[in-house]
Amino acid sequence: MAKTILIVDDSESIREVVNFTLQTAGFEVYAAGNGKEAVELLDGRVIDLVITDLHMPEMDGIELIKYIRATAGYNRVPILFLTTESQLAKKIEAKDAGATGWIIKPFVPAKLLAAISKVIR
Amino acid sequence: MDNFQKKFLDEASDLVSQLEQALLTLEQDMGNPELVDSIFRIMHSLKGGGGMFGFDNISNYTHRLENMYDLVRQKKLKVTREMLDITFESADHISSMLNDDGSKTEEIKKNEEILNSRIEAILDGDSMSVVTVGDSVEVKPGLASYYVKVKPYEHIQRNGTNPLLLIDELVGLGRAKVNIFYSNIPDFESLVFDDTYIWWEVILATESDIDAIKDVFIFVEDDCEIVIKKLADGDVFSFDGIEPLLQCSHDFPFDLEKITSLANTIQALEKAKTETAQAAAAKEDKGDEHIKKFAKESTISGIRVASEKIDSLMNLVSELITTQAGLNLYADRAKNAELTRIAEGLENISRQLRDTAFSITLIPIDYLVVRFRRLVRDLSREVGKEIEFEARGAEVELDKSLIEGISEPLMHILRNSVDHGIETAAERKAAGKSPTGKITLSAYYSGSQVIIAVTDDGQGMNPEKIRRKAIEKGLVAPDAQMSDKEAIDLIFMPGFSTSEKVTNISGRGVGMDVVKRKVSDIRGTVSVSSELGEGTTITISLPLTLSIIDGMLVRIADVDYIIPLSVIDTIFAVEHEKIVSSFQNVINIEGVQYPFYYLRDEFAIPGDAPEREEIIMVKYEDRKIGIVVDNITGEYQAVLKPLGKLYRNQDIFSGASILGDGTVALVLDTHKVINQFTRYNDL
Repeated sequence: MAKTILIVDDSESIREVVNFTLQTAGFEVYAAGNGKEAVELLDGRVIDLVITDLHMPEMDGIELIKYIRATAGYNRVPILFLTTESQLAKKIEAKDAGATGWIIKPFVPAKLLAAISKVIR
Repeated sequence: MDNFQKKFLDEASDLVSQLEQALLTLEQDMGNPELVDSIFRIMHSLKGGGGMFGFDNISNYTHRLENMYDLVRQKKLKVTREMLDITFESADHISSMLNDDGSKTEEIKKNEEILNSRIEAILDGDSMSVVTVGDSVEVKPGLASYYVKVKPYEHIQRNGTNPLLLIDELVGLGRAKVNIFYSNIPDFESLVFDDTYIWWEVILATESDIDAIKDVFIFVEDDCEIVIKKLADGDVFSFDGIEPLLQCSHDFPFDLEKITSLANTIQALEKAKTETAQAAAAKEDKGDEHIKKFAKESTISGIRVASEKIDSLMNLVSELITTQAGLNLYADRAKNAELTRIAEGLENISRQLRDTAFSITLIPIDYLVVRFRRLVRDLSREVGKEIEFEARGAEVELDKSLIEGISEPLMHILRNSVDHGIETAAERKAAGKSPTGKITLSAYYSGSQVIIAVTDDGQGMNPEKIRRKAIEKGLVAPDAQMSDKEAIDLIFMPGFSTSEKVTNISGRGVGMDVVKRKVSDIRGTVSVSSELGEGTTITISLPLTLSIIDGMLVRIADVDYIIPLSVIDTIFAVEHEKIVSSFQNVINIEGVQYPFYYLRDEFAIPGDAPEREEIIMVKYEDRKIGIVVDNITGEYQAVLKPLGKLYRNQDIFSGASILGDGTVALVLDTHKVINQFTRYNDL
């Protein structure tokens, strides 16, 4: 069965690029515009991986990661966050919050898939 | 020998030891002009004395060395390691010339040719390349072996990391062996379900660099203890004798010290070998068939063994495998853990012994190609044609007996190509072709067969001419209807030869019928395809079937069959229902349509089929075709025995094998099975 990935980002263009890449690679994809939407989307669904941006309105990435780690049924789901090379402090914060790994922006499809293959298969 | 000569010999011996002394000092103090001078003087004296007292060989040889050191004196050449090596060897060479009583003249001459070409390499100014090449160990660029220890902290899975994926990714970088350590797993009561207690050691040979290895663990740098150590350049798995050190055993760490020291020793040896090979290679460039041959011989480290000894080794291995099967069966029934362990250990060894024994009998086709190249060259001169000969896949290996068997038929085919196939330069020009004809010999593996094809770009065969000839010779009826392909196949008929004039080469009454017979003697087949004006290809297919094969033991009704593992791609379980309801013998498995053959039907086996059957996907040309059997017993090393007379026409069976309990299993040649049933079904 195809693995399910939830992509959380407030930028529609990023959501679309990621969505397209992942669907082409054979994943089933859900997309959410911020943490809050993501939390609503989870709602008991089986999710194999969450990819989230860190800076988002309403509920940001760090809060989302903490929420997921604290929620039964999701607390072991791998989480990758999107970051830029310069955000070192954020990276540590996200890891401490429970993120599994990260993807550095900007990225090409191959890099995205390589990062994903490190955490789910 | 007169007194003067004796005196020279004594003097020369002294000079040689002086030379050695000077060389040893020069080695410590490279480029010391005084030492260079004294070496030059020694050469000069040897040369002069040799010429005066009738030792021309010594005089000629030292002349070259003198030249070399003269250039050093003039500062046109620098003293290099290779130069010193040559001079040391020259000192030995000169002493052996001085002491030669005539018994070693040949050997000395060969040695001299090698040394000369090395000296020439230096004089040609490419001394640099010789030295640098000699210094580098022969490894694939970038291929190196690493030790990686991955010891995750207990909490690693809490943030969604699956450490197994990382080990997988690491192993995916190259060739690897993994040791797993379970010893940290606590008692059941104190075990936390998603904590990680297991850790790993990996020996990895990869072309990726150390950064790529680090990259695997980029997300978990803080959640793991990671140790990465480079063990050696090159692939440690390919090192002789290292295998026992790389056995995976739970909870026993790899002995890194031993692995590294063995790797170092092996590399030092490799290096020495490469240097010799490089020196030899340097000579080869200088041409001269004789030297080439010698260089090749001198770099092959091997011994000659009588073929009978190899044959008897093979027989013993066959016996061992059969006995082994009996032991396995007995061990299984006895349900004795210790016995099973011993049986498995022994099986592992006999498998390796079998593989090694087989590899001894394999010879690359290259062995023949050298001869053929010469043949084509000589023959084309003789008939005044310009022909280029190309060989592809010369590395393909064949059993020694097949090499012997194939040599003569191939020789005939090449002769035919040179004589009848390729046109004269004038004819070729007139036909708008390049004046130089081309003959290509290509060899490759195809499933369980080796294909050897000889292609020429000559005039091709004229089916009409062949047909007329065959009628003339009374081989076919005058009114026989036949396609062009069938007409061309007539060349394999006994007593057929189209050559209108008998030449020196082919057309001596030895026709393609003989080729065909010789090829079928070694269980091969030969076919021809030809395009008038374009050229001809003769293809020989040889079975790769060795006398022992790895097979899959399967059952249909109560009969055992063996399918060679080499042709098996995948195996699926299917419901009998699905087979019965299939249309046109095509079955859909995981979304792919596969044609299949239902052996129960094809063999007309009565009785009820089991509810679930197994479909084995075998490779057939570039497709996969299913073969349905009742069930699969397991892997089996089968010793092939020829079938008796009654089975002679059943070529879908390549042999039979006696199982551990004494029953007989037929070995299926899936290629032929598919061929036969396809033809049958098409009718």
